[in-house]
Amino acid sequence: MTTVTNKTDNTGDVRLSGISKTYDNGFTAVQPLDLTVPQGSFFALLGASGCGKTTTLRMIAGLEEPSSGTVFLGDQEVTSLPPYKRPVNTVFQSYALFPHLDIFENVAFGLRRRGIKSVKKQVEDMLELVQLGEQARKKPHQLSGGQQQRVAVARALINTPKVLLLDEPLGALDLKLRRQMQLELKRIQTEVGITFIHVTHDQEEAMTMADTVAVMNAGRVEQLGSPADLYENPNTTFVANFLGTSNLIEAEVDTKSGDEIVLKAGGGKLVLPEARCSAPTTTGGKVLVGVRPEKISLTHADEAGEIPEGRNRITGKIADSSFIGVSTQYVIDSPVCPEFEVYAQNIDRDARLVPGADVVLHWNPAHTFGLDAAQDIDAGIQEEAAV
Amino acid sequence: MAFVNWLKRHFVVIAGLLTLGYLLLPNVVVTVFSFNKPKGRFNYEWQQFSTDAWKDPCGVADLCGSLSISLQIAFWATIGATVLGTMIAFALVRYRFRARGSVNSLIFLPMAMPEVVMAASLLTLFLNMGAQLGFWTILIAHIMFCLSFVVTAVKARVMSMDPRLEEAARDLYAGPLQTFVRVTLPIAAPGIAAGALLAFALSFDDFIITNFNAGSTVTFPMFVWGSAQRGTPVQINVIGTAMFLVAVLFVLSSMVIGNRRNKQKA
Amino acid sequence: MSTLTEAPPLAPVPEKKPPRKRGRLVPYWLLLPGILWLVVFFALPMVYQASTSVQTGSLEEGYKVTWHFATYWDALSEYWPQFLRSLLYAGAATILCLVLGYPLAYLIAFRAGRWRNLIMILVIAPFFTSFLIRTLAWKTILADSGPVVGALNTLHVLDVTSWLGWTSGDRVLATPLAVVCGLTYNFLPFMILPLYTSLERIDVRLHEAAGDLYARPITTFRRVTFPLSMPGVVSGTLLTFIPAAGDYVNADLLGSTDTRMVGNVIQTQFLRILDYPTAAALSFILMAAILAMVTVYIRKSGTEDLV
Repeated sequence: MTTVTNKTDNTGDVRLSGISKTYDNGFTAVQPLDLTVPQGSFFALLGASGCGKTTTLRMIAGLEEPSSGTVFLGDQEVTSLPPYKRPVNTVFQSYALFPHLDIFENVAFGLRRRGIKSVKKQVEDMLELVQLGEQARKKPHQLSGGQQQRVAVARALINTPKVLLLDEPLGALDLKLRRQMQLELKRIQTEVGITFIHVTHDQEEAMTMADTVAVMNAGRVEQLGSPADLYENPNTTFVANFLGTSNLIEAEVDTKSGDEIVLKAGGGKLVLPEARCSAPTTTGGKVLVGVRPEKISLTHADEAGEIPEGRNRITGKIADSSFIGVSTQYVIDSPVCPEFEVYAQNIDRDARLVPGADVVLHWNPAHTFGLDAAQDIDAGIQEEAAV
Repeated sequence: MAFVNWLKRHFVVIAGLLTLGYLLLPNVVVTVFSFNKPKGRFNYEWQQFSTDAWKDPCGVADLCGSLSISLQIAFWATIGATVLGTMIAFALVRYRFRARGSVNSLIFLPMAMPEVVMAASLLTLFLNMGAQLGFWTILIAHIMFCLSFVVTAVKARVMSMDPRLEEAARDLYAGPLQTFVRVTLPIAAPGIAAGALLAFALSFDDFIITNFNAGSTVTFPMFVWGSAQRGTPVQINVIGTAMFLVAVLFVLSSMVIGNRRNKQKA
Repeated sequence: MSTLTEAPPLAPVPEKKPPRKRGRLVPYWLLLPGILWLVVFFALPMVYQASTSVQTGSLEEGYKVTWHFATYWDALSEYWPQFLRSLLYAGAATILCLVLGYPLAYLIAFRAGRWRNLIMILVIAPFFTSFLIRTLAWKTILADSGPVVGALNTLHVLDVTSWLGWTSGDRVLATPLAVVCGLTYNFLPFMILPLYTSLERIDVRLHEAAGDLYARPITTFRRVTFPLSMPGVVSGTLLTFIPAAGDYVNADLLGSTDTRMVGNVIQTQFLRILDYPTAAALSFILMAAILAMVTVYIRKSGTEDLV
């Protein structure tokens, strides 16, 4: 699997080799999994609920015993170490702040359990870092959601763990606060340089914050890479649909010329760079062709002649359009794909582009990607909606 | 018509307050009659105002002795039932084990059993074993019937506890024992306290089971029962009133302190 | 920054982990002392009682198990009026508790506002004055020359109740009415508390939603509030009926020889006449009857998760 460039210090590496988790009732939450998270990186496990991402995190924390495989922190094997003996701390979902202790004691909890007597200075510094110096003597329920979240981070970070695990840390916050905390967490991570492993179902959150994202589905890692790489070049329909929106068209391989593949789709031809195709391509074989909605330009059928040569094109009729502000989202009814989505920037709005208008969709072939047609074309679509 | 509408709108409030009056009326009577100076042995009819009984609450033979026995039994029964009940509650909520259903029924049955049945059957056991009836048999019986109520109170609290709190403690370097002492126990404390308070009240006020298994030992309720046959001293009302006031003041002051603390911190 | 009064809603609880091998005995050790206590001092006595009920003999010569089941028949044929009376009185008291207790529980749950805690305390605090003392107070309240009886007499209510057989002449004390009144009073808090618990859980917005969907207040109550409070109604009626059916204190203090309940008989047989087999048989029948009724009731009302 992909490994981001290794730094000299590797005590904060997390290596999972062949770990899996099957519960007593026979349900397998995590299929055997190999994963390396290098020291100092911000790593996101992304997937819908029930995909095994939280179980994976809990196995790293020691809260769940793997059914098979080993967990390494740096060079130390920790597979059977209880959580209180691991140099790993967790920011829990909905925070799990101790309701009977005030903020100060919540943050001091880990230090005190390790027998450190003079915790005052450290705790105060930590509360300063998360901007909660004034709130030290309040109880958790007296704080707002965002403040509680910062206490949870402070409570974990004060122990200077090798790895910080975050389980849906922003799930309980409203959208605006979530944005703010994403930047805040990113800032803290850069400041302390600790490895962060972040579990989330929110693809935007994963892409904004993480250096590396692993997309999980049904107990497996579907694809792993940088956010841009995953977005631009998905390898499976699940990734294509789960991360943003993709238009997928069933096509047949016509000819191959050089590093380009020419495909037939609904009477027209589409060009696909071979390097961007993760499926086997034998002539006459089926391939799913994908393109992101914002890569597509929309031209009224009357001006079809003005479209430059060498672009992939598809004809259709506007079925629906919605004005978002920065852009307009169109749904195009096309013979090759009934609900083709196009996002057009509102730079020069063409007044003729209204529902019912005949249009030509065209895009640079370099933005096309190809997927194995043996997969479910709708994989990953429902999951994103069901949070 | 306006009056009828007003009645309609406030029906629940009026009916509820009437019920509350019904509940409190006897306490008012008990309090008023603690200042009575009855003719004869029974304190059922108002004669004249007097504070004699309040000045000398222990003036009746055996009254304060029985009160002290009741308080001792309630104290030990509370401790016994709370410890045993808390252990059972934790086992029921936190662990999977065989015979769970039978354990649940065994906890439920004493609460679904008329007291007189438990009292009579326990007496047959003690008679068969040739046990000496008295302080210890009362204590045994009280722990037995308080146990289920403690289990129910503690169970409710432990069940509503977020298991992530204990995971968080373990994640923050607390071993199993420390997790229990520092996190589990403090969070379960209100449930345990509620169970203990209930056990104390049930034990202190129990008459039926005690009556069967007391032998010649006289608890406070038994003293009252006996006096209902022989003659009711005013001191009984004094003690009843004092207990009521102590309970109300205790709860009110703990609420006021709680409120003030919250306000200071907020 | 604004302060939240409540913590954010908890996300779904992660799946329970299976217990580790070394901890497998822990639950049994936790259960052992308490369960042993209940087995020895609750379950075992039931066995002894069952065995006592089929013994014959006398106090002087001692009792022996002779499987003399006729005791049950004799006990029933002699004391069926007291049995019937127990069930009737307990049933009447339970219904009265429900009718009286519901408005108060509703008031505390939805209408009391800042008085909620105070009313709660007033409901619970009487517990701390011994219930015997409070029951004796009813002797004063219902005294023949007292204002209550006087008022009932003036309004000719007592004529009606006498005609129904609930009271006799112009007395209330020493009549069924007094006993039922005492039972109702004594067990009312056991009805109010479970009712309050289940009413309090009901989201007030459900009332608004029902109103929004054209339900008049009475319909809202019948179709929304009452069905949702069923768990409280079931456990409240059980907590009232069971102890009331076995009670003998109210019948003794407020009633007469004509209002004796089965509890009185058991108590007299056991503690005065010392006829242990008959007393044990009566107690056993009472237990069986109540367990049977409770089981049927819980099944019918479909709330088996009361325990």
